[in-house]
Amino acid sequence: MVMKPCFCMLIVFLLLPVLVLAEEAPVGSIKTLDGEVVVVRKDQMLPAAIGMPVFKGDIAQTSKTGSVGIVFRDDTIISLGPESTLNIAEYVFEPKTEQFSVLMKMLKGTFVYISGAIGRLSPEAIRLETPSSMIGIRGTKILIEVNE
Amino acid sequence: MIRKSFIFLCLAGLLTGCCPHRTTVVLVPDPEGHVGTVAVQTQGGEQIIAESGQGVIVKNEKDAPSPATSFNEQDIRDIFGKALDIEPPVPEKFVLQFKIDSTALLPESEILIPKIIDSIRQRASFDISINGHSDRAGKDGYNLELSLKRARYIEGLIVKAGIDKKYITTTSHGEGNPVIFTADGVAEPRNRRVEVIVR
Repeated sequence: MVMKPCFCMLIVFLLLPVLVLAEEAPVGSIKTLDGEVVVVRKDQMLPAAIGMPVFKGDIAQTSKTGSVGIVFRDDTIISLGPESTLNIAEYVFEPKTEQFSVLMKMLKGTFVYISGAIGRLSPEAIRLETPSSMIGIRGTKILIEVNE
Repeated sequence: MIRKSFIFLCLAGLLTGCCPHRTTVVLVPDPEGHVGTVAVQTQGGEQIIAESGQGVIVKNEKDAPSPATSFNEQDIRDIFGKALDIEPPVPEKFVLQFKIDSTALLPESEILIPKIIDSIRQRASFDISINGHSDRAGKDGYNLELSLKRARYIEGLIVKAGIDKKYITTTSHGEGNPVIFTADGVAEPRNRRVEVIVR
């Protein structure tokens, strides 16, 4: 079957956003999961699953009985207790060009944070933010609680 | 224009000014037992914690954080129990070393390959990274290419053992992620390696 050129063009344009999206690499993945957890990605609410990749801009939300653990590309670990919201606002791990930048917004709930390679290579590039504070770390594990 | 920005400011004020958003930060030892430092900052000031089990409380964004106080194990369990229980295991890291200028493994690294496969199976890992690394001697481009070639060779071995390629990410970090920090141009064999990380 021979498609008309304009029809082909239309398909290319329709696929373009998909192709662009596909190029953005995951920044980590969900490793542990209990109860109901969703990942808000752009306008979508996706149910979390073990092995699911996470991307910059994702917001992880746990329900009243939910909890989840995420491992990032540089081996940073973040876990969330129930009724918690984490916005992965910024995550750049490019050792080849020595570019590192992390901004995690802990909006509410409880969190465990264990720093990874970025904490060792460039700790000043890591910013953890809660609605009332900025947290800077030097290679370690911390616990954070944010009450509304 | 002025009106618009005023409305915006009011909205922003409503959003950020309504709730104090109390924050608690507690420092604990990392999985290797190491305790680092953490700095908690608000508009009102900064508090540094450097001792395990110490924490600070931030009442709102304007006031300085509280001085560091002790949190005992029970306090920590009560607040963070669920988040601690779901904390993923630390990824397992294997460091492989090669014969000079070659993708052939040194014998002591060769024996790690079955251990890597076991680890992937045991953890039911969906997320494996194979990263080539180089030192700062020689030409950047050459080092980068060799370290990537080595990483791809290891990927081939792991795929041959039956692990699905779609779970593997293979890259080169070049000289940007060393074990030992050196000046440019310095040969450091420990930095020439491939790391396999099983998450």
